[in-house]
Amino acid sequence: MNTSRQNSPALLEVRNLSLSFNKQEQVAVERVSFSIAAGSTLGLVGASGSGKSSIARAIMRLLKLDSGVILFKGEDVFRMDAQQLKATRQRIQLVFQDPSASLSPRRSIEQTLLEPLRHFAIGDAGSRQEKIRQILHTVGLDHDVLPRYPHQFSSGQQQRIAIARALVTNPDLVIADEAVSSLDVSVQAQILQLIQSLQQDQGIAFLFISHDLAVIRQIADNIAVTYRGQMLEQAPADLFFRKPAHPYSKTMLSFASDGPALNSERGKWQLERGRTNTGKPTVCLFARNCPDKMPVCEQLEPDSHNIQHENQRALGSHCVKCHLYDEVEHNDS
Amino acid sequence: MSTPALKVNDLSVWLESKAGRKQLVDSISFSIKPAEATGLVGESGCGKTMTALAILGLLPAGVKVESTSIEINGKDISSLSVVQRRAVLGRDIAMIFQQPGTALDPVFTLGQQISSVYRRHTGGSKAHIRQTMLDSLEAVGFSQPEEIAAAYPHQLSGGMRQLSMIAMATVCKPAVIIADEPTTALDGSTRALILQQLEQLQTQHGTAILLVSHDLAVVRQSCARVMVMYCGRLLESTDSQSLFSHARHPYSAGLLACIPQIGSDRPPVISAIPGQVPAATNLPPGCHFAPRCTRVEQQCRQSVPDFDSVDGRGVACFRPL
Repeated sequence: MNTSRQNSPALLEVRNLSLSFNKQEQVAVERVSFSIAAGSTLGLVGASGSGKSSIARAIMRLLKLDSGVILFKGEDVFRMDAQQLKATRQRIQLVFQDPSASLSPRRSIEQTLLEPLRHFAIGDAGSRQEKIRQILHTVGLDHDVLPRYPHQFSSGQQQRIAIARALVTNPDLVIADEAVSSLDVSVQAQILQLIQSLQQDQGIAFLFISHDLAVIRQIADNIAVTYRGQMLEQAPADLFFRKPAHPYSKTMLSFASDGPALNSERGKWQLERGRTNTGKPTVCLFARNCPDKMPVCEQLEPDSHNIQHENQRALGSHCVKCHLYDEVEHNDS
Repeated sequence: MSTPALKVNDLSVWLESKAGRKQLVDSISFSIKPAEATGLVGESGCGKTMTALAILGLLPAGVKVESTSIEINGKDISSLSVVQRRAVLGRDIAMIFQQPGTALDPVFTLGQQISSVYRRHTGGSKAHIRQTMLDSLEAVGFSQPEEIAAAYPHQLSGGMRQLSMIAMATVCKPAVIIADEPTTALDGSTRALILQQLEQLQTQHGTAILLVSHDLAVVRQSCARVMVMYCGRLLESTDSQSLFSHARHPYSAGLLACIPQIGSDRPPVISAIPGQVPAATNLPPGCHFAPRCTRVEQQCRQSVPDFDSVDGRGVACFRPL
């Protein structure tokens, strides 16, 4: 089915991904599409519960899909046999939020770093040792850490080790799920610097998941905004931060840069509870909190629109799922 | 000058172990005025939470604490017995914890938990207690307080739990609230909501707030004053405006430089503080920050700089910026 996409330049392509929990009662992700080119970084932003982590886990085939396709280098991840899947997982690696929970407390750093190499049968004993020493150097640790255990390290060092473990298989894509969220600012800055150097020196693509727009701004080439399981806006980073289109994106940006304004329209915010499956949504999910709400927003689900800007070709496409952009031609104002 | 809502004099916290004395908090003093929010910032392990717990008398067993006094509205609470303290906690001073998921009791509804605080300290008829509980839930922004009151903690999202915690902490209208990383696990919009509620407490009830956080952006948004802590010591204490425009301690300046900025151009990542926080058992002599400091000189490695305070601005540094 994916022959037409065989030559696609995208490293990862996700099309119309939907998934749910509790026998399809709890909608987690709904018709989400995006792609990541080799060597580029997509920043996936959204509030907690917006489906960010579910998307990440689906890409690794750790969750079952309701519908949709996930293509890695043109191959459908969910149609791979065991061998192909194993080969793919070597090329995609995950880094989680809490490094102390993602490293085994009973394994020395050496065992932790050697495990992926053994599992994927990469190299022989001698070259493996060389490889893990080189990786440790890349993440800024000395090889004398090898015999030590995770509890002997600070959280920043633990996250470096988790990144080293992800890099040891030479992945093309690293999925970082809130990888710097639990770190102190000074340590966060050190880890972000490391990720930046990996982007530049090794050409690794990242799916960088975070709820922090300021962090995303520092390292993402493209931005995708999720809200309650749906993708509301996608744009190149420079465009997104200059001209955010969706009211939700604007709200998030105003929260991130000015902080809460008690009396402003955007400051009035209602917490939404989890979504239960009530068939196809017939409204815009953001309508309840939207400062620019129109009558149509509570009657019809908006389509995705492409917004035209000047120099469009140089920047890449800007998609937004909102009724404000319902006119067929929307020119950059 | 009015009596400060919270006044801490010479508070020290430490652990004795075979490995030696672990100094967690090193004789810090500060005060907070009514209706004022003060931020206490620093990296993990710098003693922020220990300071908060020491004020409340909630330190784990085995941790040693010493202070000249800890006063709430001029009344010393540092020497109270456990029973006497119980009457103070929740009524005069309350705490909002970092993890509402673990701080709330999973087997009671939110309504039961919030009511029990009010019943214990104030009491009254059943209907009055229930109404007060619902009012406190409504005050933190729940449009349907009955629904929340009937819910168990696991039925609510993290943000809703944290708002319920605030309702519980404020049901008796305490003079002081200590909020320990109240927004750390929350996303931007929910964080904004929580901070709004804390601001409302100050303006409407004159509550003094000690906001413990590692997030300088949060402190900037919501606190009039900031204290910067490192390895158990206060390095700088000032009004937030001066800190963010002109930090005097090199550590404060380094922390500020690390905050990512949102702009229309992609900003470079700045990592202004090299190295790591030293272990509490192995603190360097002199200024604890000296080994990581760009302005270090001989004196910094040998003696501890005094905390010099002039016009409400204090800094502990031989070579301030």
